[in-house]
Amino acid sequence: MAALAAVGPPNPRADPECCSILHGLVAAVETLCKITEYQHEARTLLMENAERVGNRGRIICITNAKSDSHVRMLEDCVQETIHEHNKLAANSDHLMQIQRCELVLIHTYPVGEDSLVSDRPKKELSAVLTSEVHSVRAGRHLATKLNTLVQQHFDLASTTITNIPMKEEQHANTSANYDVELLHHKDAHVDFLKSGDTHLGGSSREGPFKETVTLKWCTPRTNHIELHYCTGAYRISPVDVNSRPSSCLTNFLLNGRSVLLEQPRKSGSKVISHMLSSHGGEIFLHVLSSSRSILEDPPSISEGCGGRVTDYRITDFGEFMRENRLTPFLDPRYKIDGSLEVPLERAKDQLEKHTRYWPMIISQTTIFNMQAVVPLASVIVKESLTEEDVLNCQKTIYNLVDMERKNDPLPISTVGTRGKGPKRDEQYRIMWNELETLVRAHINNSEKHQRVLECLMACRSKPPEEEERKKRGRKREDKEDKSEKAVKDYEQEKSWQDSERLKGILERGKEELAESEIIKDSPDSPEPPNKKPLVEIDETPPVEKSKGPVSLLSLWSNRINTANSRKHQEFAGRLNSVNNRAELYQHLKEENGMETTENGKASRQ
Amino acid sequence: MPTVVVMDVSLSMTRPVSLEGSEEYQRKHLAAHGLTMLFEHMATNYKLEFTALVVFSSLWELMVPFTRDYNTLQVVLVTDGCLGIGRGSLRHSLATHNQRSESNRFPLPFPFPSKLYIMCMANLEELQSTDSLDCLERLIDLNNGEGQIFTIDGPLCLKNVQSMFGKLIDLAYTPFHAILKCGHLTADVQVFPRPEPFVVDEEIDPIPKVINTDLEIVGFIDIADISSPPVLSRHLVLPIALNKEGDEVGTGITDDNEDENSANQIAGKIPNFCVLLHGSLKVEGMVAIVQLGPEWHGMLYSQADSKKKSNLMMSLFEPGPEPLPWLGKMAQLGPISDAKENPYGEDDNKSPFPLQPKNKRSYAQNVTVWIKPSGLQTDVQKILRNARKLPEKTQTFYKELNRLRKAALAFGFLDLLKGVADMLERECTLLPDTAHPDAAFQLTHAAKQLKLASTGASEYAAYDHNVTPLQTDFSGSSTERL
Repeated sequence: MAALAAVGPPNPRADPECCSILHGLVAAVETLCKITEYQHEARTLLMENAERVGNRGRIICITNAKSDSHVRMLEDCVQETIHEHNKLAANSDHLMQIQRCELVLIHTYPVGEDSLVSDRPKKELSAVLTSEVHSVRAGRHLATKLNTLVQQHFDLASTTITNIPMKEEQHANTSANYDVELLHHKDAHVDFLKSGDTHLGGSSREGPFKETVTLKWCTPRTNHIELHYCTGAYRISPVDVNSRPSSCLTNFLLNGRSVLLEQPRKSGSKVISHMLSSHGGEIFLHVLSSSRSILEDPPSISEGCGGRVTDYRITDFGEFMRENRLTPFLDPRYKIDGSLEVPLERAKDQLEKHTRYWPMIISQTTIFNMQAVVPLASVIVKESLTEEDVLNCQKTIYNLVDMERKNDPLPISTVGTRGKGPKRDEQYRIMWNELETLVRAHINNSEKHQRVLECLMACRSKPPEEEERKKRGRKREDKEDKSEKAVKDYEQEKSWQDSERLKGILERGKEELAESEIIKDSPDSPEPPNKKPLVEIDETPPVEKSKGPVSLLSLWSNRINTANSRKHQEFAGRLNSVNNRAELYQHLKEENGMETTENGKASRQ
Repeated sequence: MPTVVVMDVSLSMTRPVSLEGSEEYQRKHLAAHGLTMLFEHMATNYKLEFTALVVFSSLWELMVPFTRDYNTLQVVLVTDGCLGIGRGSLRHSLATHNQRSESNRFPLPFPFPSKLYIMCMANLEELQSTDSLDCLERLIDLNNGEGQIFTIDGPLCLKNVQSMFGKLIDLAYTPFHAILKCGHLTADVQVFPRPEPFVVDEEIDPIPKVINTDLEIVGFIDIADISSPPVLSRHLVLPIALNKEGDEVGTGITDDNEDENSANQIAGKIPNFCVLLHGSLKVEGMVAIVQLGPEWHGMLYSQADSKKKSNLMMSLFEPGPEPLPWLGKMAQLGPISDAKENPYGEDDNKSPFPLQPKNKRSYAQNVTVWIKPSGLQTDVQKILRNARKLPEKTQTFYKELNRLRKAALAFGFLDLLKGVADMLERECTLLPDTAHPDAAFQLTHAAKQLKLASTGASEYAAYDHNVTPLQTDFSGSSTERL
């Protein structure tokens, strides 16, 4: 608008040569010849196929011609100019030859006068140039003509929304129904064209050649957000942009509400075929599928795999999804090595971290059913921890130690077990094992994650030595025949797939054997992933296994050990050893006994 | 895609097939054998496919109808390639194809997207000895090249019919198996109906794009934010149980029903990620964004068929870096934890979506449009209405005045400015005695300014210049408002 204002209206007293339209036409051809940034990019990209980049254009010239011969003169001028410029362009990097050009001459004349120029449909003037002439009266007739041309040039179609209830300006409590005509890409009508079922407004006031499809406004009942099956969405513009009905409709939509549109039918059921909705200040016409789908009446998900399981952690996964929502990062970010960081890759990376240990059902987990673990579980999955995070994790662990000392009950699932389920100290052992699995899955994230594990390992309880011995003594006799089966049972209950967890089990193999009696009570309870070797148990338990307050020595040596272990790659055998004894040919068992899981592998490294 | 099987039952189909040392078969029997194989395959691996059966000779009869109408179809035509003679025969129809009128249109191409597969109970040599093959090929051509002709390799026998139908099954009825992944959580799934390869129109060398068999979830978005996006197609995502060899349980054609049921029951009791995902998506009202290939994404969501039944559904977006303008570029979507503050707000009360477009649309701003006389009229009336309520409406009066002035200057409609100036002067003379004295001052001032602008030459005619209210002794209070 500002540019138009700068040009101003032609001065009737000026030299007619100066305000000849010819200058404009020449400038238009020159502009068409100039290579655009996009064309340049495409040309450089395609190299030897550069000739595939096209350069076609259209010149729309609104003028007042004196006669048909004047029009011919204008056409000749364009023809001539294109010819000359194409010659120039052939030897230039900044210019491109015009391959095709459409000249649309619109002759406009004052209302009340007779046109001196006749209309002419599109005609080939040369291989490059086609031309058409439209003769039209000034004022609203010109606007209507441009509206028609714009539809042709940009493949648009028109939809009239009818029955829009709108408050009257004068009488705010009454409302009348209005129509608003919209323009949009013609693909939004593709279903009508296919079925030959056009609800033509027909008697459009605007002229005989204009077609518009009429759709009825359906007053939205609720603000309920639904996911419609939509096959296309096209931007719209009202034909009469700021008229009251138009702006009433657009403001309604821009305020975030959607309107369903219905095909007007004399009889039969209501068919909703379109929806108007704005997305961030842009209004789109959504094409909704009204044809019936082959996906009707599918089996319910509860009839398929996993459909009979009833204790999925739906709420927890909902929380997980909310934490893993996406948000746009418009400014480029760079990694430490200077390469561009792709936000979407970061999102995948986060999902990977957050799912390293994520039991799907409630009866598979203890720690995620405990409010007390939340502070640790929510931060441990992070890429890096702050000092405060570490402190919180440690507090969580101390809190758990405290709970154990007080013998607080744990939310251990008793699903599938008969009787009361495992004893309290066994429950804590399961809980600690699981917590360790979670933390271990993240120790490679950072040094601070390591510290959380150190704290956990230092604090987690071991059954007191004496009690252990006592139990063992009592059980030694029936251990030989029972332990194997018992350990087998043990696993089902946990159904931990992770070899990480396995390791935890093996590590505590001693206790397990000792406690096999407890598990014996519940014969249908689960089975371990591996058959555990019957290790002859060392009578003197290692220092770290002592219960109660941890000695300064063990804290110190733990610290030194971990510090040292970080300096070299730990021998795989030692890493997985049980009481410093490494089991050989583990993979044989894995192949026989269970499916190896990638998860465990990944987090073990 | 639903399938219509069209079976030729004309007399020529009863021609015997010469087989050494076995009972006599007719071509019809071979066809029935092949179709049985096709239906059995569907029953085990393509359970959700809808089929209908039509038989024809010179007349046709719908044996098993569809219960619904569909917008896409696969047609399997089974024939021996004996095309008949005289009026109404294929040969005659094709020869007179050009003479048909709109009302008497040839059925091909079908008025809906379709694939036409022709299964010939004859071998290639036999068909080539007449013009049958040419005619059948023309049928495919008429269906815009959508479809294929299958012939029997070698002598006509059960084995070769089987291998021919095997080829059709491989082409059109292979179930699409994939792995749905969300980090370490995974599930084996069947995607139904099969996602068809998508050809991107605008590319210089169109290569059909096929979706990955690893469907990787990249993150989640609220349903309100994704807001009914346009999609290419929709597919059910059905969790499947694979046996140790990696085959779907129950691929064998002669599957014992009881075995299958017990296998299904066991599979039902094993926790499956699809069910967990579906449940949470449904409860939270969210969708999962899933990567289908390079620069190709889709969404997973819970689709409710009725109150009781719902399922995990996947919709494919159009391939490209930015399928939905209101989400922006897909690659630029990242985890909220990377943002300085949670873009969804601490109380989950805001959203980073939709993205605002760079330019405001004409309907979202206050542009002046005078394509109809009423538009101009309304704008002038607005000024006059406010003029009568001066000085209370000083601000609105000048706002509207400036809007009209700018538009008039841009359109070169200088006469309008003169006209409006005259009207304002007239309003001034019509002011009632009770009017605030400021009103007269402002009207005269405004009229003078418009007149200056209408000369088109002075600095007052500059487009960026704004007419400001006259500072008067009375306007002390109104200056605050400005």
